[in-house]
Amino acid sequence: MRVLPLALRRLAASIPTLLLILAGLFLLLQLAPGDTVDALMGQMGGGDAALAAELRRYYGLDLPVMARLGDYLWRLVRLDLGFSAIYGKPVATVILERLPATLLLMTASLSFAFAAGMGLGVLAARRVNRWPDTLISTLGLVFYATPSFWFGLMAIVVFSVHLQWLPAGGFGDVAMGYEGWEAALDIAWHLVLPTLTLGLIFLAIYLRIMRASMLEVLSLDFVRTARAKGLTETRVVARHVLRNALLPMVTLIGLQAGTMLGGSVVVESVFALPGLGRLAYESVVQRDLNTLLGIVFVSALLVIAVNFLVDLLYARLDPRILSGR
Amino acid sequence: MSGPTRRETLLLAGGALVASPFGASAQEQPRQGGALTVHFATEQRILNPSLQASTGVYIVGGKMQEPMLDLDEAGNPTPCLAESWESAPDGRTHAFRLRRGVTWHDGKPFTSADVQFTAMEMWKKILNYGTTLQQYLAAVDTPDPHTAVFRYERPMPQGLLLRGLTDLGYVSPRHVYESGGDIRQNPANTAPVGTGPFRFVQYERGQHIIAERNPNYWRQGMPYLDRVVWRVVTDRSAAAAQMEAGQILFSPYSSLTIADIQRLGRDRRFEATTRGNEGNARTNTLEFNFRKPELADLRVRRAIAHSLNIPFFIENFLGPFAKAGTGPIPSVSTDYYPEGAAPPYAFDRTLANRLLDEAGHPRGAGGARFSVRLHPAPWGEDIALFSTFIQQSLAEVGIRVEIVRLDAAGFLRTVYNDHGFDLATGWHQYRSDPAVSTTVWYRSGSPRGAPWTNQWGRTDEEIDRIIDAAATEVDPAKRKALYADFVKRANEEMAPWMPIEQIFMSVFNRRVRNAGNNPRWASSSWHDTWLAPA
Amino acid sequence: MNPWRLYLRSPTAVLGALLVLAVAAMGLLAPLLYPDDPLGLAGRPLQWPGDNPRFPLGTDPSGRDIAAQIFHGARVSLLIGFAATLIAVAIGIAVGALAGFYGGAADTALMRVTEAFQTLPNFLLLLLLVAVFGSDLRTITVGIGLVSWPPVARLTRAEFLTLRTREFVQAARLQGLGDAHLILREVLPNALPPVLVYASVVMAVSILLESALSFLQLSDPNVPSWGNLIGLGRNVLRTEWYVSAIPGVAILLTILGVSLVGQGLNDALNPRLAGR
Repeated sequence: MRVLPLALRRLAASIPTLLLILAGLFLLLQLAPGDTVDALMGQMGGGDAALAAELRRYYGLDLPVMARLGDYLWRLVRLDLGFSAIYGKPVATVILERLPATLLLMTASLSFAFAAGMGLGVLAARRVNRWPDTLISTLGLVFYATPSFWFGLMAIVVFSVHLQWLPAGGFGDVAMGYEGWEAALDIAWHLVLPTLTLGLIFLAIYLRIMRASMLEVLSLDFVRTARAKGLTETRVVARHVLRNALLPMVTLIGLQAGTMLGGSVVVESVFALPGLGRLAYESVVQRDLNTLLGIVFVSALLVIAVNFLVDLLYARLDPRILSGR
Repeated sequence: MSGPTRRETLLLAGGALVASPFGASAQEQPRQGGALTVHFATEQRILNPSLQASTGVYIVGGKMQEPMLDLDEAGNPTPCLAESWESAPDGRTHAFRLRRGVTWHDGKPFTSADVQFTAMEMWKKILNYGTTLQQYLAAVDTPDPHTAVFRYERPMPQGLLLRGLTDLGYVSPRHVYESGGDIRQNPANTAPVGTGPFRFVQYERGQHIIAERNPNYWRQGMPYLDRVVWRVVTDRSAAAAQMEAGQILFSPYSSLTIADIQRLGRDRRFEATTRGNEGNARTNTLEFNFRKPELADLRVRRAIAHSLNIPFFIENFLGPFAKAGTGPIPSVSTDYYPEGAAPPYAFDRTLANRLLDEAGHPRGAGGARFSVRLHPAPWGEDIALFSTFIQQSLAEVGIRVEIVRLDAAGFLRTVYNDHGFDLATGWHQYRSDPAVSTTVWYRSGSPRGAPWTNQWGRTDEEIDRIIDAAATEVDPAKRKALYADFVKRANEEMAPWMPIEQIFMSVFNRRVRNAGNNPRWASSSWHDTWLAPA
Repeated sequence: MNPWRLYLRSPTAVLGALLVLAVAAMGLLAPLLYPDDPLGLAGRPLQWPGDNPRFPLGTDPSGRDIAAQIFHGARVSLLIGFAATLIAVAIGIAVGALAGFYGGAADTALMRVTEAFQTLPNFLLLLLLVAVFGSDLRTITVGIGLVSWPPVARLTRAEFLTLRTREFVQAARLQGLGDAHLILREVLPNALPPVLVYASVVMAVSILLESALSFLQLSDPNVPSWGNLIGLGRNVLRTEWYVSAIPGVAILLTILGVSLVGQGLNDALNPRLAGR
């Protein structure tokens, strides 16, 4: 398959969108009261006006806005994300440090939502309008209506404070000095509650879609034919229905990769996880323009990559699609 | 001082030994070894205290680098890197004898050249508050490797300089910084090279910082601890949980929620105390913008003070470790706290209403006299609670308060640069001498844009005169009298008003021994800290 | 069958309507039941529900009556939900209609902008808007509207793309009617039903966005808001968890109501898919 040229073409097509976002954010943040030097002075616990003026000169904040924007974009062309005044190191490094937690959390939540949504959706569709269906559908609605941060807090109250089964927050336990498998297990243990919290709303959505797709597919001709040919119910579901119902769910993953980062802002802050979402929030608060734009850039690339993978998956699931293009 | 003295504490702890397995006895022998895990709540851009004066830097960098002077148990300046000092009667030259046989972590010797470089290039030029303190520092002479002579353009009171050179006197290695290009970008800023009892090992952003025992430390047989591990936990509830699980042994500077500090304080495994933070007092402020005509009227400012029931607020919201403020100099400042100081404005709603009537602000529709915007600083749970309390209290006397919530950058810019506020509330952090941290709030003529300075749009020549005289007064008794005048004037004029006094709270696991044994313990080097077995 | 009768035949849809009506009633009754300022100091802070008969739901960390805040908060949540949804739907329809009707360069340009908004996580954009323009109620409502329109635009555009080639539109065009007439009178009414159903999703998301914002202490502190309460309760979560728990239930029930209404409308307007 000619994957690489296709990927490059995709990337090229999204460049105008990306530029629009970066320039828009850059200009928007100029309107905010205060700049990164104000935030720095706050962090330092004060300093005089001469110090502030010198810092502004140092970070180039005294230059005209347009010159700085041009400068930023020109650096971006050379794949240089710039330097973070707040963290005192290159933005690329700052982001790389935070990326693993977010990627892990997102992958775990999506997998959980996908698997559980699929299972429950199939179950509900096969018992349509009977009590398992009613129960599952109601649960789905309640999950959909639950604010994720509130669910996270309540989960902490129940599972960490009262039952003391799971840790209340953090990303692994440094002081214990775990290594290898132990460290991995430790991180997994810390991610149980965040994964549930972030995955809940997606679980609700996938469940609904899976159920609807199942119902739709079950009424299609070829499934009836398969049944008529004497294939057992399970085989029909496994072979034909799942394959077709997966299409809309896979599409949705592509659509929601971006939304998820927004959701992780809140979840990472409830569970004190060192991830990209919180970094993005902090960089807004600290007016750390380079870091914020860097995160947006990286997450946009992530969204594009996920969508590309989704397309490839799509083609595998239903070969007619690629040939039809 | 508000907390018990160390001796009292030791006695109390010794007495408790009979009843409690967690108590310490005064005869206990320090144990070598162990790792002290510390709660690190605010991620820092740099860790070098010669370049940044903030608690978030001291809590880490203060273990790796050392200051010229430290404070003893009673809060008096005591030798650290400087062994002794001598000042000329005119206060313009101060000579320091430096400790011999001290080496940097990389093995190079510590000399007066390091002090000279740090003073001229860092304290005078970069260090916040240092730039003000050392404003008139002309030169540092180094007649020999173990003598540093500070020469000033104007008289520098010895008391001010000695106290200043604790928090604002951390020395950095000249050989590391001189050749490293731009000081602000030097890699040692996040991997400090010092003379202190602990050597930097690793800083993993968002996770932890690790330092290990310095085997060549100049205090023989010290430190006792093998390592210090700072755990980055920004969520305060999560930090409390980690303390309970024994994963964190010490949480400094009121970094937990008020509810959790009180809860852990009742638990026998922990101690919640202000001990060891007496040098880090802060007052809650109420800042008035004099450009708003209503607030320029002294009667209105007084009415506002009289309508706040501060004892009620402290009792119900802050708990036992706060007290009603008596002015800009907190009671822990043993040298300058005026004798017999008392809270000047008692809660009196009738009087407040009368003052507002007299000022010509009758109640209008719905009982409201006028409206003001209140900008609370976005840090500290107590500030948020206090801003709500101000809103509630002023509503009772007919002043409608709209709270304007901004993030740190927005708050500092709006209040201290754009002056777009009516009322603001935050903290004033007292830094060992009024001339370092406090008078700048009252002295007119501060340039626009410097946070935590006089931004009220008001000139008071009387208070300016007192402040200027005190800053260069070399006679300690006269200086103390001048600061008493300053407090009196500041309380009368109320620009701003400092109604509550607080000291930062520490929460210790009781395994931590020799904890809090000087007034700036959280910032100090922990060379004599040790851990009892679990 | 008449859509109304269809709607009323679904028990879940009726339940949703009842929930929404109950929340609206709470909001309307708030000034009568709790005439005092809900943000005023009512008593000692952090009294548990039931401790004091004056405060059936207890008091929050600032000594304010939680029940009063829940009632007054209902107004705020619904107000923000409605207003933000209106803004989002208005922008979405305008963008989607223009893009779908004209196609070509206009479509490409508008869809690029829509894509840009969709690539950027909407909550992050909202945080940015609040940091820039402050956190009073009006800014927040407009901000939520501004970050929620892209899906509406996509939906409208898709409807317009299929509808504009239909015979009745062609016929109207041949009569020489202007574009404005075609868009507003011919295409839009037919494109509207699915958009209106989707509006319920926008409303649910708006309420969630506001509560997430106030959870981070970034919402307007001068109005009683459910999210504000959850955020305040976080500091005392280990001991006084009810401060966060109670407003969370209120949000959950409101969003549940709004989604059930949306689902009911969907089933009623598209009877073919009913029961799915």
